[in-house]
Amino acid sequence: MQTIPVPHVDPLPLPGPVWLLTALLLVVFTLHLAAMNSALGGGIWALWNYLRGRHSAHPYSRRLANELATMLPAFLAFTVTLGVAALLFVQVLFGNFLYTSSILMGILWLAVIPLVMVAYYGFYYFSFTAEQGKGIAGCVLAVSVCILLGIAFIFVNNMTLMLSPGRWLAMYRAHPNGWNLNFNDHSVLPRYLHMVNGAMVLFSAILAHLGMRKLKMDADYGRWVVQRSALAFATHTGLQFLLGMWLLLAIPREIAMVLLRDPLAGTVFGVALLSVIAAMLLILLGSLAEKPTAMVHAGFGMSLVTLFLMVCLRYLLRLAYLKPYINLGALAVRPQTGVIVLFLLLFVGGLATVGYMLWLVARSAKKRASAVAAS
Amino acid sequence: MNYPHWQLAIPGGMLIALVAVLHVFISHFAVGGGFFLVVTESLARRQKDAALLKYCRRHSVFFALLTLVAGAITGVGIWFTIGLVSPEATSTLIHTFVWAWAIEWVFFFVEIAAAIIYAKTWESLPARDHQIVGWIYFIAAWMSLFVINGILTFMLTPGRWIETQNFWDGILNPTFWPSLVARTAVSVILAGIFGYITLPRYEGREKVARWAALWMIAGMLVLPLSLWWYFTRIPQFSQLYLNGVLIGVRHAVRGGVGFTLLALVIALLCGVWKPRWMRAPVVALLVICGLGMIGAGEYLREFVRKPWVINQVVYANDLRASQVEALQTNGVIHTANFLLTDDPASAAYGENLFHLQCGSCHATGGYRGMKRRVDGWDAEFAADILQHIHMLRGTMPPYAGNEEDRKALGRYLAGLNPAWQFNITDGNRLEIGEKVFNSRCGHCHTVNGKFRPLRGVFEKQTPSQVQEMFPALGMMSNNMPNFNAPDDQAQALAYYIAHEAGKPLPQKPVPAEAPTGSPHSQLVRPAQPQPGVR
Repeated sequence: MQTIPVPHVDPLPLPGPVWLLTALLLVVFTLHLAAMNSALGGGIWALWNYLRGRHSAHPYSRRLANELATMLPAFLAFTVTLGVAALLFVQVLFGNFLYTSSILMGILWLAVIPLVMVAYYGFYYFSFTAEQGKGIAGCVLAVSVCILLGIAFIFVNNMTLMLSPGRWLAMYRAHPNGWNLNFNDHSVLPRYLHMVNGAMVLFSAILAHLGMRKLKMDADYGRWVVQRSALAFATHTGLQFLLGMWLLLAIPREIAMVLLRDPLAGTVFGVALLSVIAAMLLILLGSLAEKPTAMVHAGFGMSLVTLFLMVCLRYLLRLAYLKPYINLGALAVRPQTGVIVLFLLLFVGGLATVGYMLWLVARSAKKRASAVAAS
Repeated sequence: MNYPHWQLAIPGGMLIALVAVLHVFISHFAVGGGFFLVVTESLARRQKDAALLKYCRRHSVFFALLTLVAGAITGVGIWFTIGLVSPEATSTLIHTFVWAWAIEWVFFFVEIAAAIIYAKTWESLPARDHQIVGWIYFIAAWMSLFVINGILTFMLTPGRWIETQNFWDGILNPTFWPSLVARTAVSVILAGIFGYITLPRYEGREKVARWAALWMIAGMLVLPLSLWWYFTRIPQFSQLYLNGVLIGVRHAVRGGVGFTLLALVIALLCGVWKPRWMRAPVVALLVICGLGMIGAGEYLREFVRKPWVINQVVYANDLRASQVEALQTNGVIHTANFLLTDDPASAAYGENLFHLQCGSCHATGGYRGMKRRVDGWDAEFAADILQHIHMLRGTMPPYAGNEEDRKALGRYLAGLNPAWQFNITDGNRLEIGEKVFNSRCGHCHTVNGKFRPLRGVFEKQTPSQVQEMFPALGMMSNNMPNFNAPDDQAQALAYYIAHEAGKPLPQKPVPAEAPTGSPHSQLVRPAQPQPGVR
């Protein structure tokens, strides 16, 4: 029997402890997903409301589309920025798997770059023209959204292919030029749909949270946003349960069994299920009232917790997939302690700087609002 | 050999270059342009110049659209591309500098946030706060350059890191500071060049044109000095490449200098002297000059590192120096993880070896295409010359495979062209002799040129005397392949060498040294005539 070829790990030791690299990977990947869900989910929400808002009977849809239009480029900017960090840490820990799967689908993997660029400029175009409501703004946004859906498909293919070293050699021999997709893996389609629908779930929660802040300025519009997004959140969460079950049935049985046999994975899974149910109840109950309550914020918070738990679960399943090929605990480590401390200090400093800039913006907005109220 | 080789129609290195040049062009503008914007804004506010302030606002939108989208995404593009083309080298860099990249990411994050806020808050933020955001942007952007510069320079001059593997030895390497100054100067030049893209049509036009020209000129004053400083710090083998031994390098140096001087002339003429001449075609020419400067600079930076991608660690074909010996002993078939065939006797195996060993820099056709380079080679000669591949012009890694592998690759290379058949007459002997020389000798020698000239050996020889030496070539030195060309080609070759070596000497003295690209060291040996020839 031919052995399964897997590239050796790098001869250089890991530059930091595995727990720290893993923690950073999980945190930045969660933030990346939150931004990505905002870009993709927000794009779909904006498109739907833009099309709906072309009729005068739906002024709120039009207004929401215009508001989302101004946010979409920033959502995508942070998707990319946070994605870079996730890519960095996943390369340190799983580089030999990720590089190989990326090479096998090299053309499609590299195509992500021009595709993101087109989608990004599309978002900017939409943000500049949506308010006028004329021309091809809707078409451009539709193209951008379709591109993001395509990119998500490429990512899901790569992230599943990196877990399947047994397929690599045959795929490489079939198409050494990088025209491979991981179609033979039955989990690709449910996983893709789970990710895309997950974007709708999370962005609906984000929108409910944003809608709450609009209540003060325009109660009717704010309530409309909150209730719409709460309904969407509940619907997509229901669908997410079904897709999740499909995904569990599609992944290899021994991997799925990890959820039952491994106490940590089982606990994370159980808590994630509870937290999503809590999020749904909080958002639904909070939004149904005549004046939506702070429970919506709590529901939004629980959605983020769920997202983080799902990211952790995904990581544990990845470890189960790769167990025959790598043991992270056995890798040589030589921590670059001084540089790690410097990074952590700068990280805090960076967050503080961004916070300071946002504070400047908020302070100025507050002053202007007071001035308007006074006049 | 650890990873599958991505087989593209073009060399992988060229793909990296395309993405990298575009990214470097925009990302340096992202640094200098941020500085330009915030300084220009302060100037406009201090002088209460509404037109200049309006220009700043317009320029900031263009700046954000270009740098946030194309600049940031092409940066990610480099990540993707190097991971696909050079996974081994990328892994080494990641394991060495993951925290440097993490720090750079923090600055990048701040930079993106600041750029978005800066472009969107011209009306909503008070002037002082808006400028604070602008300065935060510039400091974050320059710090991002500061960190990345350390990683890039490490690849050519790892310095003490080779012995210590210490992070700080790697990042603060011998070319860190000169390269940082040069890159900052380039950023300032590009800030000036891109400053013209949004040049006002009427009000404030002259002022902006002169102001942007000043930036270009200031950058151009610093750039040559910093490049000279950089030149004094790079390894000896890289200095030799830059001294003009290789044609591609010569062209790139001339191109880079030419584009820079042309940009300087345009800045002086159409920026300082007659701003009304700064029309769209002139601006387009300036942008092309900027791209040309960056293209030449990046080409040279990459080229002077050959045969390495990380000096003394990973070769340009993504092979670790430490792997070569095992490959030469055990052969590729027992070492590589991903081969397209398990049959070393098959033609597909030779092709596979070509992609594995040569595909990072060469395809069969096109730029650096092998087809024309091996025209006239037979399988035996090709297999023989592969042993000495690192000696060619100093830019090639050693051949990493056993004898069986060499023969398989030799058969593949020889099969790229039909075998030569000549009808040699007195009229075409010289021409065919030159062709044979270029095919058999020209990869390592010239007759009267700078590179390992043969004149000293053959100067006073007749064609038949020259030809008498051919059978002994393989015995003269370990670095010479056997000569096995057919008799008619040998005759023509001898005629050509004798003819060329008998020509009057050129006026300029030829340099005594040439790079050899020794596979396991950076020693540069003088190009001596082969022992025994004299």
